[in-house]
Amino acid sequence: MIEVDEKKMPWSKGMTITSLFQTLNDVEYCSVVRLNGKLISRPQFTDTPVPDNSIIQLLPLVAGG
Amino acid sequence: MGQINLKEIKSVSYEKAEVKKGYTDQSLRINLSSNDIIIDPIEEKIKDKFIGGKGYDLWLMWNAVSGDTKWNDPENAVCISSGPLGGTPGYPGGGKSIVTAISPLTGAPIDSNVGGYFGPYKKFSGFDVIQLDGKASEDTVILIDGIENTITIYEAFDLPEDSYELSDTLTRHFDEKKPVNVSVVTAGPGADHTFFGCLNFSWWDAGRKMVRYKQAGRGGIGTVFADKKIKAVVARFGAISMKANSPADLDALKIVTKTHAKEINELDPKQNRMALVGTTHLVPIMNDHDCLPVHNFKFGSHPESKVIGEDVFEHIFDKGFDGCWRGCAVACAHGVKDFSPFTGPYRGKKVFVDGPEYETVAGCGSNLGIFDAQTILEINFYCDAYGLDTISVGTSLGFIMECFENNQITTEHTGGLDLSFGNRFNALKIIHQMAKGEGFGTIVGKGIRNMKKIFAQEYGADPNFLQDIGMESKGLEFSEYITKESLAQQGGYGLSLKGAQHDEAWLIFLDMVHNFMPTFENKAEALHWFPMFRTWFSLCGLCKLPWNDIVPEDNKNTKEPAKVIKHVGWYTDFFNAVTGKNIGPDDLITMSEAVYNFQRIFNLKMGYGTREHDTVPYRSMGPVTVEEYKSRYKRYDDQLIEKYELDISNMTTQEKVAALRKNREEQYELLKDAVYERRGWTQDGIPTLKTVKRLGIDFPEVLEVLKKNGVK
Ligand code: SF4
Repeated sequence: MIEVDEKKMPWSKGMTITSLFQTLNDVEYCSVVRLNGKLISRPQFTDTPVPDNSIIQLLPLVAGG
Repeated sequence: MGQINLKEIKSVSYEKAEVKKGYTDQSLRINLSSNDIIIDPIEEKIKDKFIGGKGYDLWLMWNAVSGDTKWNDPENAVCISSGPLGGTPGYPGGGKSIVTAISPLTGAPIDSNVGGYFGPYKKFSGFDVIQLDGKASEDTVILIDGIENTITIYEAFDLPEDSYELSDTLTRHFDEKKPVNVSVVTAGPGADHTFFGCLNFSWWDAGRKMVRYKQAGRGGIGTVFADKKIKAVVARFGAISMKANSPADLDALKIVTKTHAKEINELDPKQNRMALVGTTHLVPIMNDHDCLPVHNFKFGSHPESKVIGEDVFEHIFDKGFDGCWRGCAVACAHGVKDFSPFTGPYRGKKVFVDGPEYETVAGCGSNLGIFDAQTILEINFYCDAYGLDTISVGTSLGFIMECFENNQITTEHTGGLDLSFGNRFNALKIIHQMAKGEGFGTIVGKGIRNMKKIFAQEYGADPNFLQDIGMESKGLEFSEYITKESLAQQGGYGLSLKGAQHDEAWLIFLDMVHNFMPTFENKAEALHWFPMFRTWFSLCGLCKLPWNDIVPEDNKNTKEPAKVIKHVGWYTDFFNAVTGKNIGPDDLITMSEAVYNFQRIFNLKMGYGTREHDTVPYRSMGPVTVEEYKSRYKRYDDQLIEKYELDISNMTTQEKVAALRKNREEQYELLKDAVYERRGWTQDGIPTLKTVKRLGIDFPEVLEVLKKNGVK
């Protein structure tokens, strides 16, 4: 199980942020997530594995300074 | 702390104007040459058109200066205002001051939106806006005392040199028992010797029992202030409640204040955690998206950036409430306690560093090849204490470092200093020199536009190279984002009124990451709506961060998430609750449009404000050098083939650089065309008669300026 924005979701072996996103709605504006406390940006989504029991927050559209 | 010596030159008592629905309807003018203290009513038609804040500042300045006024002429005016909503305790970001002057860097009006309590204290003391003009013959301190209802001009002796100590000394001097009643505006020694002196606006941090400050950083307003021999302007006022601003509908104000603050308290911990890390979360995000300036904006990322981002600052920042306005739920104005500088006059002492924010980390860290949080803190501390704008300092130092590495300048010019990227000791040396007006620091303090001339004319440097890598537009140094892959943000910098600052439009992600604005028309629409909406915060006395840095959970499901429409609605409610008006969200844009166009025409009055001034250096559009091209060759090669349909198989890298440049520069010109059209401007970038009439700013003196520039 993982938690995405406080909602429980099933975890699967080999899950990356990109593959997780394929199962979520309304993520087109999400270019940064916090995975177990660490910021991960879109260019790393494909290569970043999501371990079981992860806690993920989807950060809103980056608004800059 | 030594004894200070203030000699009263003039003091007047006044009857305090009552605040009504966010306004006192009075302005205060202090002429430093004659010591005249003039209180004037603000006419209803000016209030309707200019709203407050930056609008009032610009109107007063327009009347104070002629088209020939230079930054150091006595008639140049430093204007400080809050705005009708400024001074609402508990409303997130509800207490900003907006400062303007003719800038020593740009020669045109510059504006800065700053925290601290000065703006609200000044308003509750009876004045929507103050205008400081003339020039004193001796160092001067001005006190606006809203408790005693007096305004006093002092000649000042034996004051501490730097802003850090000066704000503290004056706060305790003017209200030792209740320092929370005092807010001080100061410049520092950096303002005496550079064109990018900033102003520090203070507030009393009751939790830590110390003075804190925020900076009106951009464009050298501190330099103008110091040139007038003003050491400080002090506002003193007592307790503030929501009623102090006399809102038309107190209950409605309480509801919208509570709603917005509650949302921030709930969502900030789940989103950017600004109450913990300020804006330093942007360091890793910009790095990972190739948007963090590295080595004078040459590159957009660096592996060592991980040691200067939120992970580090979260642990260094002192814990406690860090709102630069009373009760601001975002509370992002963090600092570091017991920091011990390793250079300069505070070497070995313990100081509190206010900051750093993202811009300082990026500008004075990665952009200089300095990946060391301690050095960034030290640069931050000394820039504040000396009253120097960290953005102009960082961007200017990046420029000289690249010039040094390319032999455009040598140790012969720098006084023997090796200014290679990463040389943190010599970067600090230049900053100390800027404060003292010594050595190569005096040249750097003139800003990039002037350095380009000096290096080319006196040191024999290549003017074309300097033009390409000198990150300034309209004379103002760039703030700290790489824009090479975002045409819209190139426009966000180049088409902004005051120069290369991102506070009008920050469109990098919408454009580059999400491809939300594929056409010129889309980009032009964004370069209309966002600058107008962001201007509105400075009309009203607000901070923009609570608008779009923490957003409702359902925001992503709205039609245009970047606008955060729910918050736009709350701001409309806020405005109506305070002023008693009954406007809709679209009216916020029209209000700003009038002031925005007025400022553009003000630029025109000062000899700028046309198409030729909306340029940006090529470094902000694409790779200047072969090294830069090669660092992202795949992206650029693909673009030449796919977007510009070129056969690059036999091209050298140098030829590819030239081909990309030709195309990107053409795109930028097309963007200008589209934006001018959307804004209702001529193709030379001047508001048309139809536009000024529609916005109701067709005053005779405005029409006169337009006529002089061929718009009839
Ligand atoms: S959001 Fe941050 S910068 Fe803005 S008023 Fe609040 S504490 Fe100050």
